[in-house]
Amino acid sequence: MKFRHLIAVLASVVALALLAIVVFLAVYSWPAIRMNGAGFLRRNTWNLGNLYSDPILRHGREVMPGASYGILFLIAGTLLSTLIAVILAIPVGVGAAIFLAEAVPAGMRSWISFFVEMLAAIPSVVFGLWGYVVVIPFLGHHLYPWMAHHLKFIPFFAGHSGSGYGLLTAGLVLCLMIVPLITATLRDALVTQLATQRDASLALGASRFETLWSVLLPGARRVLIGSSILATGRALGETMAVLMISGNALNYLPRNIYSPISTMASFIVSQLDSALQDPTGIAVRSLAEVALVLCVISVVVNGAARLLIYYHGRWSARMA
Amino acid sequence: MHWNHPSRFTRILTGLLALALALPVLFAADPVVNILETGSSLLYPLFNLWVPVYRRQHSNVRITTQSTGSGTGISQSIAGLAQIGASDAYLSNAMEKMHSNMLNIPLAISMQMVNYNLPGLNYRHLKLSGPVLAGIYTGSIRYWNDARIRSLNPGVKLPHHVIIPVHRTDGSGDTFIFTQYLSFSTPSWANQTSYGTSVSWPAVSGGLGAEGNPGMVTAIKDNPYAIAYIGTSFENAIRRDRMGIALLKNRAGNFLLPSARTADAAAAVMVPKTPRDERISLIFAPGRMSYPIINYEYAIVNRQQGSAQTAAALRQLFGWAISRSGGNAPSFMRRVHFVPLPAPVVKLSQAQIAEIQ
Repeated sequence: MKFRHLIAVLASVVALALLAIVVFLAVYSWPAIRMNGAGFLRRNTWNLGNLYSDPILRHGREVMPGASYGILFLIAGTLLSTLIAVILAIPVGVGAAIFLAEAVPAGMRSWISFFVEMLAAIPSVVFGLWGYVVVIPFLGHHLYPWMAHHLKFIPFFAGHSGSGYGLLTAGLVLCLMIVPLITATLRDALVTQLATQRDASLALGASRFETLWSVLLPGARRVLIGSSILATGRALGETMAVLMISGNALNYLPRNIYSPISTMASFIVSQLDSALQDPTGIAVRSLAEVALVLCVISVVVNGAARLLIYYHGRWSARMA
Repeated sequence: MHWNHPSRFTRILTGLLALALALPVLFAADPVVNILETGSSLLYPLFNLWVPVYRRQHSNVRITTQSTGSGTGISQSIAGLAQIGASDAYLSNAMEKMHSNMLNIPLAISMQMVNYNLPGLNYRHLKLSGPVLAGIYTGSIRYWNDARIRSLNPGVKLPHHVIIPVHRTDGSGDTFIFTQYLSFSTPSWANQTSYGTSVSWPAVSGGLGAEGNPGMVTAIKDNPYAIAYIGTSFENAIRRDRMGIALLKNRAGNFLLPSARTADAAAAVMVPKTPRDERISLIFAPGRMSYPIINYEYAIVNRQQGSAQTAAALRQLFGWAISRSGGNAPSFMRRVHFVPLPAPVVKLSQAQIAEIQ
């Protein structure tokens, strides 16, 4: 067998694994998809039903009485916490990348970059623990009450400031987890851009800021979009850290930015054992349906971002 | 590294190799039985008291304990991943029908506290009832100075502050017995939410979810004005943190604290009703002095063990655990605020233990 064939096999294994996972999820959750219907995405109920009574027949399938599954609150929690994380992470990540690429003396650059990249290497459960022990008491007892009082003119910032577990906390910790992804890739892109471009811009009389803003950053725009997508993907699927700090809201939408939430990934972890108590098996299959929805959302986000890069590339080419 | 005497090195290596090959043979003479206990975070402290003492007498048994929640205990025991699934809840009829090999063996009687963090008032035992707790957990009672709480506690200056109800997010026997108390005492709760190791908690703005009993203890400690349901094996932690312990209204209308006396009174009423498979709720027992939330702490065990050795080790361990001179000795029970099994229940449990093969 030639080397070319060998790597072709290896590459197709990866692709097949993805396909196999999605097919498995779809087949396994099919009974739940049929029972839950389209309301699964619109309802705010996750109810296993009365597990200690006898199963009843509904549409020819055994279910526990009162069982009803709807995950709107999970979709909202997942998307909102990711949105907050990405909105906060992009300016911070870009700023840090510029600082590392342009402002830090070359001798220190590799050291500081090393620390930024180490931040990306920290296991997420460590972020969760830190959030649980350090961040939540501070936010819940000091910062959030202050924000709820002084920033109440901003929509969703007013109201009960909660206990520190919730949407904004999840967003903040997720932000810290994804900033290094953006910074590290963008910094590399800025540093590796042609020195001649930089020199040419400076020679034309542009200031350092103008060079950065008009020459270097536009050149790295695709890298920025690409790394932001990666970061979004990580935030969407993050499990452990969010489980520990989100407050694990059940069956309601966040009322303000401090409200407890749940995300799809963390919900699957926290509810699997309970779901296994359902003798009809619908609860576990509904969890698989949650996983399927999470997969679809991730694919859609990735696809949308790829389209963005594609059209952006064509648009830039036309401008040039 | 440089070796001056390669021949000596070879000899050492050969010796080590021989030893490594001989090890399994040496151990085969006295086989060690590994037993994994996982589940209820309420039983976990008791198992951790039992294991070192038991091991001193039975060196051939290695017991690993894990606090993962009753839901995990039940599912891992059914799946055969653990030999003992510790649970505060017995299996439902439907589960028992599906997994008819599973035994529900009571090991002790436990109680549950309702705890709160009311700054300045934690030294007082507030009176709470099933309907009031149901009101708090459905969100119809939002503030600590709600008229329904005040009417149970005349003379107590309750603050106008939002209540933070905390519930368990993991599948939990504590959730099972707490929601049974609410179901048996409050018809509207029984109709809308009912009971189980995990229920669809009504949406209460600001309500929190916590993992395990330790998570509940932390949640109320860190959140003033929170309320939670916590097993009595965590009473020491609650007292150390100076959290409040509620007086709960029983079926006869009396408000009682969890104690050996009030648990015994409730058990005395319920023991004669215990069926042979020992699956019965002890919640909201009749009787003037009966504490309303007591329960059997179960070992969920497969009666068909893979090996005869494991089965024998389990029979021996459980036999010791439920005997007054062994695991049910007051010295163990008092430290986790449990109550020993009454003699008739010990008999029923012994009959079930004998079925483990």
